[in-house]
Amino acid sequence: MAMAATELEYRVELLNRMVASCHDKCSAKPYKEGVLSVGESSCVDRCAAKYWQVVAIVGQLLGSAK
Amino acid sequence: MNFPVEAMADLPEEHKASFLQQLEHMQVRDSLRLYNALVERCFKDCVSDFRSKNLAKDEEKCVQKCCEKFMNVSARTGMRFQEFFTEMEKQAAEAAKQASKKR
Repeated sequence: MAMAATELEYRVELLNRMVASCHDKCSAKPYKEGVLSVGESSCVDRCAAKYWQVVAIVGQLLGSAK
Repeated sequence: MNFPVEAMADLPEEHKASFLQQLEHMQVRDSLRLYNALVERCFKDCVSDFRSKNLAKDEEKCVQKCCEKFMNVSARTGMRFQEFFTEMEKQAAEAAKQASKKR
């Protein structure tokens, strides 16, 4: 049960950090408008995909480096 | 913020209640954390004129756009995140099925 809660907390934290990173990398500043442009939307999609790949690689490396 | 509630289905009854409570608590905590993070982000990005105590009109508009943009990015990222997780779990289930077949 405690493990499930920890796993859930990890997922939430992962999502939050993904959002923050992709916002930093993709949102045009200064803020022109609230709606995402086509470019920003594509950027967010690719950002999420790459972030996920990094999660996988780091996971693998951490797992094997014991 | 969409929490993975499907995982809960396997838990025994008495654990479900306490898990739901924990979940609610986590959601409240996450909302508050988001509040703080968003305020800080938009303040840093939008407010730089300290000649007055009150926010300038453009600073106010900037904060509004900042919030809107962040929520949109958050929604879209959340969607992709959910897709990846579902895909990952599907692959894990497939792998488990393959592994159990071989035994």
